[in-house]
Amino acid sequence: MIMKGQKRKLPPEEVEVSDRSSPFWESQRQFVFSVSLNKYQRGQELPEPSLRRSVLIANTLRQVSLEGCGAPSMDMEVSQPPCSSSSALQESITNSHSAPSSCPLVSSNYFSNCAVSRSPVSCHSSASNVPLSAKNEDEDWESMSMDPDFSLSAAISSILTALDSTIDGSPQAAQRAPLRSLENLAGPTEGAVAWMKHGVRGYGGSWEQQENSMEVMRSSYLNDVTVEDLFQDIDTSLLEREMGVLGLRGSGGGYPTGDDLLRYLPPLSSSSSPLLPFSLSLNQKCLPSFSSFSPLSSSSSSSPSLSSPPFSSQNHMREGLELEHLMEILVES
Amino acid sequence: MGEDAESPKINHTFLRDYVTEADVISTVEFNQTGDLLATGDKGGRVVIFQRETEPKGESEEVGETGDSGEYNVYSTFQSHEPDFDYLKSLEIEEKINKIRWLPQQNAAHFLLSTNDKTIKLWKVSERDKRPEGYNLKDEEGRLKDISTITSLQVPVLKPTDLMVEVRPRRVFSNGHTYHVNSISVNSDGETYLSADDLRINMWHLGITDRSFNIVDIKPANMEDLTEVITAAEFHPHHCHLFVYSSSKGTLRLCDMRASALCDKHTKLFEEPEDPGSRSFFSEIISSVSDVKFSHSGRYLLTRDYLTAKVWDLNMDKGPVETYQVHEYLRSKLCSLYENDCIFDKFECVWNSSDSVIMTGAYNSFFRMFDRETGRGVTLEAWRESSKPRAVLRTRRVYTGGKRRRGDVGVDSLDFTKKILHMAWHPSENIIAIAATNNLYIFQDRVNPDHTQ
Repeated sequence: MIMKGQKRKLPPEEVEVSDRSSPFWESQRQFVFSVSLNKYQRGQELPEPSLRRSVLIANTLRQVSLEGCGAPSMDMEVSQPPCSSSSALQESITNSHSAPSSCPLVSSNYFSNCAVSRSPVSCHSSASNVPLSAKNEDEDWESMSMDPDFSLSAAISSILTALDSTIDGSPQAAQRAPLRSLENLAGPTEGAVAWMKHGVRGYGGSWEQQENSMEVMRSSYLNDVTVEDLFQDIDTSLLEREMGVLGLRGSGGGYPTGDDLLRYLPPLSSSSSPLLPFSLSLNQKCLPSFSSFSPLSSSSSSSPSLSSPPFSSQNHMREGLELEHLMEILVES
Repeated sequence: MGEDAESPKINHTFLRDYVTEADVISTVEFNQTGDLLATGDKGGRVVIFQRETEPKGESEEVGETGDSGEYNVYSTFQSHEPDFDYLKSLEIEEKINKIRWLPQQNAAHFLLSTNDKTIKLWKVSERDKRPEGYNLKDEEGRLKDISTITSLQVPVLKPTDLMVEVRPRRVFSNGHTYHVNSISVNSDGETYLSADDLRINMWHLGITDRSFNIVDIKPANMEDLTEVITAAEFHPHHCHLFVYSSSKGTLRLCDMRASALCDKHTKLFEEPEDPGSRSFFSEIISSVSDVKFSHSGRYLLTRDYLTAKVWDLNMDKGPVETYQVHEYLRSKLCSLYENDCIFDKFECVWNSSDSVIMTGAYNSFFRMFDRETGRGVTLEAWRESSKPRAVLRTRRVYTGGKRRRGDVGVDSLDFTKKILHMAWHPSENIIAIAATNNLYIFQDRVNPDHTQ
């Protein structure tokens, strides 16, 4: 059944399992999820990905996420398929699925809805009437860890937005100019601000890449800026510390490690107000959601349940507020 | 709709095996009379075959009717060159996605060929005479010495060796942002449509610098994109009707009289999903890869990954007939998704009387279904197993029960040998099958005409 000469990586279920209660269903779901993710990313690396293929894979990813959220089994044995490149993400997903039941839903009406609010979301799932889950403080932690599913979906949709903007030459391109001026700012360079600067510069640098690839995207479906490019300039040491605070580092909890999560994030979008995540996050005194940089998901970082702010020191707080003020001005201009 | 190992009624004689060592063939199309057969390949070349008409007296054998000619190469030309989009830093593939012939109006033949971005109109004309006897020039074209001319002569047309000239007459460019997947000539003889993933444009054959956008399913917010256009075709008789299929398995019939922009369909053909057979791949396998109007214009034939369906234009609730092409693959969808075979786009065709439909499969197999009886037969387009003039034996994929000799197991299928492109002669039982870089032409010797 495999192409000649190819080694079979794992034994996929030979029988199509449509019964959700079947023990194979979840493992097959996860297999499909990881394969879809691989395909999606490899497709984006192509100079000109096929739109039909990308849409079908994205829809499958979406559906698999939806079905996973709809009824994650508590007691199932999580299989660890030796997928070639996504073992880390797989681990994160399987571990996250071992968390308690209620999970945030992925709205098929563009993830932005779910990502934006933590309150009970009306799910426009066309697949089935998945019961809504009311999020409360306790669940938010698990919901954060569930973010890989969402975040990818949100990222996918934000990339689609990016494609739109490039093809239609939207005025969003013009708004990128203010970003550049930030690089010239001589501000306090310690702590979070340095991180911010790096982040912005990195972001700005990636904008250049994105601008060049904007045209590329006119007919291609998705941005070919990779996450690695984007995060090259970011001082990850700071990030690791912060993410440790958030518990995103695997520490027995089995939550997705930051690096691995970053690696598997789809490319970022060219959203109209890219600084919003930063400003809002600072406003809320917590890190922006690394799951997505789309403006609609920016407030996902406004989770009130995070145990401790990233900028623990007063000094950082002040600098953060100043920076936030600066960025608000830039965004408005 | 079971399958028989032997179907005496459908017994084809293998006429000739044409093997072209060109690149992978990406499209096959007969012209309206069936005398010409065009193939396009991944290298941007078009090869036109012409049917030889043998004089009746010489070749008549028992059982053969006249006009049993073979197809020989008529002309070859480079239709599209590899291109580079400087704005996007992207290569544009020269692969020919579709070829469509125009109805013949004079001695010349016209065809449209398209790659991902550009559609070209080619004129194929013959020259078998040339004027001889010029007054001022000699046969080689050199000017004559005027003093040697003593009388005037009228140049006379003399027959020469046949020369086939192919010239580009129109280039329709810059009409599509996305990849063109279909072109279809209108019955009005003046216009044609071209469809890409998100838009359908209507062109006039004489105007190259602009086209009219008739369908646009690009959402305002690309986040909302969940569906793309996969194929489109004009109605064979009604110049105002066309149909397009989507990746979600829907068909939309549009009437251009209703409005200028046909985003709103006149009819939506969709089969309600069977909840029992739902799986992770339900949507992918429902994606329609090809749609064809019947010659009568009454029915639509669609192909999705596992089935071929016939729809009645008057009934939009569901197909009137469903044929299982390779149902044994349903349990293998996971593997097929992994190795990308699930994204293969198979074409489907009608025979001349709309009584038989045909579509391709894997392992160099292709399937024919008799609509009256519902029976299907599997045939193979593979050089090693068939010799010229041999009867094409039917094949079978073993899915359980008693295994017969010659049965092929599902796990032995070669998924690299896919029959994606094919064509059926407009009036006779001659079929052209593209198998990677080989072209097979089969003819039904028992019943050469469609009247069976």
